[in-house]
Amino acid sequence: MEKIHWHIITSENAEEVFKKLEADGIDPVLWGLTDKDFELLAKNFAQIRNKMIETNKILEKYKEYYESEEEKDE
Amino acid sequence: MLGIRLFFIGLIATALAGGGFYVFKLQKDNAILKANAIKMESAISEQKVLIENQEKDFKAILTANAEMNDLVNNLKKDLQDLDKRFNKKNRDVGKLAIEKTKVIERITNSAGDKAARCMEIASGSPLTEAEINATKKSEINTECPSIANPNYIPY
Repeated sequence: MEKIHWHIITSENAEEVFKKLEADGIDPVLWGLTDKDFELLAKNFAQIRNKMIETNKILEKYKEYYESEEEKDE
Repeated sequence: MLGIRLFFIGLIATALAGGGFYVFKLQKDNAILKANAIKMESAISEQKVLIENQEKDFKAILTANAEMNDLVNNLKKDLQDLDKRFNKKNRDVGKLAIEKTKVIERITNSAGDKAARCMEIASGSPLTEAEINATKKSEINTECPSIANPNYIPY
């Protein structure tokens, strides 16, 4: 997966953060989340991940079952 | 006199023919019964194989269910641990970020990288040697140890 960088902006460091973005040649614009929304985003990702793992496990078990059945038939 | 003789001869002949037919019928019935018995035995052995297979399937389903339950419980624990990281002892991540902006930014980016790796693993990416061999807290992927570090036992 692509690596992303999180910037934390407070009322105190906002100016510094935007100046640094400009200095690095990055457009001085950021998409923002509050601390609570960030927490929810992290939890949402974890839930999606968990669902993927569960689904993969179920598929793996079905594969094990049906492939062993095919071996028996052969 | 001749009539009586003929009557008895007829009677004996009829009795013999009747007996012959009866024996023939018994033989025929016996053959049918034997054939039915063979069919029954074959059906019973087929049923036995079927029951054995059903028992095997049932055991396999129970094992798979137990494995799924373990997995779901471990994943739930990962989610609870994530919640703890945000809210342990009434922790306010927002306030912490104001007080220690750089530290929280570094922690956030590190956790973000780990979470991305968790998504890769969940999508089928094979584990690295380091992930497999990780047994210490400092070595594990704290975002999803249950899938990233199979040899890690929480302590």
